Amino acid sequence: MNTAASIDSAAASAVQPQVIRVYVWDLPVRLTHWLLTGSIVVLAITGFYIGHPFITAPDPAGQEFVMGTVLAIHFFAAIVFSLSELARIVWMFVGNKYARWNQMIPVSKARWRSAWEWLKFYVLFRPVTPRFVGHNPLAGMTYMLVYAVCLLSALTGYAIFSVSAGIGSPMQVFSVLVPLFGGLQTARWIHHLCMWLLVLFVIHHVSCALLVARAAKNAAIDSMFSGYRFVRPEDLEAEEAEE
Amino acid sequence: MAASESWLVEELERRGVSRREFVGFCGVMASIFAMPRTVGARIAQAIEAADKPTLVWLEFQDCAGNTESFLRAGRPTTADIVLDTLSIDYHETIMAAAGHRAEEALEGVVSQKPGGYIAVVEGSIPTGANGAYCTIGGRSAEQIAKEVCGGAAATIAIGTCAAFGGLPAAAPNPTGALSVADAVPGLKNLINLPACPANAENLAAVIVYFLTFNRWPPVDRYRRPLFAYGKAIHDNCERRAHYDAGQFVENWGDEAHRRGYCLYKMGCKGPVTFQNCPRVGWNEGTNWPVGCGHPCLGCAEPDFWDKMTPFYSHIAGVPGFGVHATADKIGIWAAAGVAAAYAIGGLVQYGRRMVHAKAEEEKGGQS
Ligand code: HEM
Ligand code: HEM
Ligand code: SF4
Ligand code: SF4
Repeated sequence: MNTAASIDSAAASAVQPQVIRVYVWDLPVRLTHWLLTGSIVVLAITGFYIGHPFITAPDPAGQEFVMGTVLAIHFFAAIVFSLSELARIVWMFVGNKYARWNQMIPVSKARWRSAWEWLKFYVLFRPVTPRFVGHNPLAGMTYMLVYAVCLLSALTGYAIFSVSAGIGSPMQVFSVLVPLFGGLQTARWIHHLCMWLLVLFVIHHVSCALLVARAAKNAAIDSMFSGYRFVRPEDLEAEEAEE
Repeated sequence: MAASESWLVEELERRGVSRREFVGFCGVMASIFAMPRTVGARIAQAIEAADKPTLVWLEFQDCAGNTESFLRAGRPTTADIVLDTLSIDYHETIMAAAGHRAEEALEGVVSQKPGGYIAVVEGSIPTGANGAYCTIGGRSAEQIAKEVCGGAAATIAIGTCAAFGGLPAAAPNPTGALSVADAVPGLKNLINLPACPANAENLAAVIVYFLTFNRWPPVDRYRRPLFAYGKAIHDNCERRAHYDAGQFVENWGDEAHRRGYCLYKMGCKGPVTFQNCPRVGWNEGTNWPVGCGHPCLGCAEPDFWDKMTPFYSHIAGVPGFGVHATADKIGIWAAAGVAAAYAIGGLVQYGRRMVHAKAEEEKGGQS
């Protein structure tokens, strides 16, 4: 990749914005993104309460159901969360080319090289973003980790859930996961740490979305709603040439 | 089978336990196994007809806590008598013989009744230093366990040490302690009765089951009998209503503690521990740990010394951050750190872009 030239052309396009609209995020990507966002927010808040119940209900016990309600909300959000995660993983194999798994797991040399340029941007060695159309490769790699953490949250969650599943309930099958996580108490600990990893990611992610949206002027945030993103025609050509 | 000649009936009569009480006990056993009470009659019949079972009790790396639990004093119940009247041919703590005479008794059982006795193992089996950490009569625990359990009709690993390695196997496991299952691989008919110590009620129940059905009751993946380890403590706990309501003890002896609120925040491991403590209780059902205000430590679960600790914390901290840093504290600080890094990075980036744009402008002006 020709770094100097792309900085120049980026600057040039800032002067005369010649951009085209490209449909990058198809509907399932956007839908699962916002369902995941919503459910994670609910899961993290309810989960924090479950791990650290900070509200103490007044007596008598029979009249209150605070923890019970919080758990129920957690479980309903968990259903939304798990189905969205599952749908997104399936879509990695059937969706458009910006939704594919190879946007996240870099298998081509070009993506590794571009990831390096992005790293330079993030650690402030580059003032302008490298060119890109779909996910930038570094972000893609992060999303791969995020989906992995989400999966781990779900699997540890179901493993813990299997404890109280009634005898004969299909949810009991998840008890086979318990030894994999080193026992229930350790599964709980992993589940709890996953929440913090996701909280850290969300802070990073929203900050980056704002940062990149300003730096690349490509309607990055709007794109997760509309599916369209603004790209320079030469970037699209370059990307097609790479394939 | 003449019931009056039965070893058990004689023994019960001698101790003044009526037949009615005995049948009642069998009914209770049936209910512990979650079987219809009518199975009690079958249990009674089977126990009466059974030969007096021979039992050898091996103690290795242990504290004799399970022996204490088994010999517990107090009102003798039918369960005690069933246990008492077993033909216990070898048990270091309670047998009269000592030294070579004692070892001869053990050898006698193993050689004369192959496949005809029940072996009970208490304590873990150290394998480090060629087994030098625990030897009896010049033989290592591992050798004894292999020979005695290998020749038994069935083996009961009693207590968490025998079942899972327990305290001796806790990190860094200096003696290379193993559970019975790991020290004697491929052992058939092994059942685990973990807990620290195991509940004598459950020991009586598995023995009664074995005498009745000639096999062990159904077990879970850790070879624990489901009738005793099939449900989480949390799902049978009398404080559960306080948990669901959101009423928790915050400090020892606080108002909530005195009112008997849930011990979740004091580190109760009831939600991740399987045993029937809330139902059968301890000391003849007098009470059980949570019942008297102490959180469950998770003693019936594998590796509980390593995994359930710190006992008085809900979950462990993060390795490398010191003992007082909870996962939540670290999380909050990390979140603040990431946010601050982005705030600073964003400002720097903004400044850089301004400078860059200015330079471009000047360059553009020149050309
Ligand atoms: C729990 C919260 C969130 C999670 C777990 C999350 C996760 C993700 C993931 C996994 C992707 C990759 C999309 C895919 O191909 O599947 C993504 C993309 C994106 N997200 Fe989020 N997101 C969250 C919240 C947000 C929020 C609040 C915003 C808005 C500020 C946002 C804006 C975006 C944008 C703009 C993209 C496209 C990024 C790109 O160009 O590569 N996200 N997010
Ligand atoms: C992003 C996803 C999720 C987050 C952030 C999250 C967060 C949490 C947190 C922080 C706790 C408290 C853990 C503790 O300290 O003991 C918790 C508890 C729990 N979560 Fe989740 N969770 C998520 C997904 C799920 C899923 C998919 C399930 C599946 C049913 C689930 C089931 C549970 C259960 C059963 C508990 C109770 C744990 C206990 O009683 O010890 N969670 N969750
Ligand atoms: S005291 Fe322990 S076992 Fe009982 S409800 Fe509370 S957390 Fe569960
Ligand atoms: S309440 Fe918990 S720690 Fe106490 S004996 Fe029962 S399983 Fe063991």
